[in-house]
Amino acid sequence: MSTGTLNQYIQFVERVYRTSQGNILARLLSLRDEHVGNRNLRSSDIATLVEGNCIAPLDEMIICHLQCVKALYARDFMGAYDNQSAFVAAVVRLLQGQKEENWALPLMYTVCLDLRLVAQKAEGCDPQSNGKILEKAAESLLACFRVCAADNRSSDTETKKLGMLNLVNQLLKVYFRINKLHLCKPLIRAIDSSPFKDQFPLAQQITYRYFVGRKAMFDSDYKSADEYLSYAFQNCHRKSNKNKRLILTYLIPVKMLLGFMPSKLLLQKYDLMQFWDLVSAVKDGNLRGIDQVMEEHESFFIRAGIYLIVEKLKITAYRNLFRKVYLLENTHQIDIASFEAALQIMGQEDVDSDETQCIVANLIYDGKIKGYISYQHKKVVVSKQNAFPPLSSLY
Amino acid sequence: MSYFDFFCNIVKKDPLNNESIKGTCYQMCPQEETNLREHAGLVHLLEVSGPTRQLVKSYSRSAADSNMAIPRLLRPFSVLKQTIEHLLLSVTQRNDVSLACLYDFLNNRLRAIRQDMTIQRLPPDECIQLLEPMIRFHVYFGYRLSGCSINEFDPVLNKKYLLECMKWFLYCCDILEGQTKSNKVDNDLSELFSAWTLDKKPVQKLTCDKILMESLYILCNLDDMHPLFRFLTLRPEIKSAPLLRLAYEIAIANLKGNYVKVCRLSKNLCPLTFCAFNLYLPTLQRKALHIMSHGYSSKQLTVPTEVVRRWLAFDSNADVESTCQHYGLKANGVVHFAKGAFRSDVELIKPKTQVKDKLKLSIEEILSYGVKSKTKPNC
Repeated sequence: MSTGTLNQYIQFVERVYRTSQGNILARLLSLRDEHVGNRNLRSSDIATLVEGNCIAPLDEMIICHLQCVKALYARDFMGAYDNQSAFVAAVVRLLQGQKEENWALPLMYTVCLDLRLVAQKAEGCDPQSNGKILEKAAESLLACFRVCAADNRSSDTETKKLGMLNLVNQLLKVYFRINKLHLCKPLIRAIDSSPFKDQFPLAQQITYRYFVGRKAMFDSDYKSADEYLSYAFQNCHRKSNKNKRLILTYLIPVKMLLGFMPSKLLLQKYDLMQFWDLVSAVKDGNLRGIDQVMEEHESFFIRAGIYLIVEKLKITAYRNLFRKVYLLENTHQIDIASFEAALQIMGQEDVDSDETQCIVANLIYDGKIKGYISYQHKKVVVSKQNAFPPLSSLY
Repeated sequence: MSYFDFFCNIVKKDPLNNESIKGTCYQMCPQEETNLREHAGLVHLLEVSGPTRQLVKSYSRSAADSNMAIPRLLRPFSVLKQTIEHLLLSVTQRNDVSLACLYDFLNNRLRAIRQDMTIQRLPPDECIQLLEPMIRFHVYFGYRLSGCSINEFDPVLNKKYLLECMKWFLYCCDILEGQTKSNKVDNDLSELFSAWTLDKKPVQKLTCDKILMESLYILCNLDDMHPLFRFLTLRPEIKSAPLLRLAYEIAIANLKGNYVKVCRLSKNLCPLTFCAFNLYLPTLQRKALHIMSHGYSSKQLTVPTEVVRRWLAFDSNADVESTCQHYGLKANGVVHFAKGAFRSDVELIKPKTQVKDKLKLSIEEILSYGVKSKTKPNC
């Protein structure tokens, strides 16, 4: 779209606004559109040139937008943020005034996304801020969210409620970035209880499931984490490798915990070989190996928030190790001492009979071993059939 | 809204606020309140010792019609520091009232201190100095009073105050950490913390120990993963401190259900972390007995009571038997574990409090000991 002079641009925006063409309007007021490069729009005195030159709520928006562009060219990110934030506030007022229509939703999406991006940029340039700018941005986004969520009277096709998920996704991104996960809960509840839950565009649903899955993982609810992340992975566009890799970063450890090991091919395909050593160590019951992997990839695991899941995978490793001992001894009455020795050989040097029994008791309790311990005889008596049921059958 | 949330909001809204209210009350209790309380006969027994009276501002809920933000009713930091020293080092020496009564009084007055802190928006470096002794207080009394009836002591409320102080404290630490990072000043925070001493007498001082607080945060929330996520993001120097490392290992063992290891490691805890752990012990014991009733489930076979006592850190064999019976397991010298017999619907057994013999520490030691310098925390 060629935008020409400032006056032509203003007229163009105004015409699009009058004819309610949300998508084109959104493009014309986006920070990620080619008109941003147009030098004519970077006049020294935007405010006076625009004011009075165009209809009421639009002039304010155009001023905010163009000043934000100017600030970005001057690399003044804080100034850009302030302008974009004022822009969002103006959009909130516009939406509030519009009853029974939702054509302006694309504009809201664009402006909100731009706000988040500008806030991230400003955050990156100010080490002092510690997430405060993003937190402020989240407040602006919440103002939009409230307007959308409160639109109860409009018909199903015209309601602004259809814009909720897009905003929730933006907010989730912010909250995950500033590590304020407890704020996600009301948003998730709002979406899950919405009657439009399944009508939102697929792309938004995938993003949403990805974050909700990560949140579930963070709250140790692995079963729903698996559900959400699997949905995201299966529905993700086949060409967006980067997103698929991101989803797998979380889906793989969750799946492993539930007893499904990834193939080497998959890990190679998505460049996630950090997990390969872990997979083989868990399969072999190699506790020392797990410790080594944890040490080697510590910062990756901590950053991804999966360090403690890896720690929990040791329980699966115990089960695999004990199964090997059971197969080797080829009897259903196994000495605790054999298990103890196996643990010591595999890297738990400080383990003793008491602790070994405790580990076995836990595995029996979880249903990972079928049998019982005899304290007097210091033996584990396992079931003659299916003593070590496959992990994937347990959940 | 808790004080902590309020505090966060203030820090968020204007990080460099210069317009906060500065208190001008240089007594522990504002003159107005003193007059009122003396007149109305509302002086607490613990505010009188012999011929002298030392009133301390009491907590009152902020209400819509009352303006709390009046400088002459608010105590500045120096006075708050003095007040907390008075409360925790002198008043705690009184033995003419019951422990529950003492707790009640101190809890109320400490709450008033937090209120003053909030209204005046004290900076984080001052907050942590006041909050640290409060955390010790709530942990210690939570332990000492855990055997009391609900009429005398409410463990849930105590935990609420404790968490409020803890989160506030840790939040302040994070801000200070952020400031040092961005200022690129290479000053050691721990130095800043330990430089703070209250008293002239060498024994009687309150310290400010970040490692201990981080450890307590983990041990007071053993069923929660979030303190562990926090731990993982701490700086390596802090993570490697022996006491904090120990707390983390206990939490990890607990995560994996390894009750034998948890109880074994708990023997190395310092007094306050021991208090915190001890409050969790009944929960751990119940969980462990549940696991064992599956693991050792048998009609004929048993486990000696003595062994269960050793594994689960019970005080005596009699304790083991009464606890087992409480949860529906037969016990007479040996424990009969059976899958079906364990009753998970009965209430948790209350923690036992035989504090004196276990800690053997005076309260001023509890409130002032530090753990940082020692390589091995002793108990």
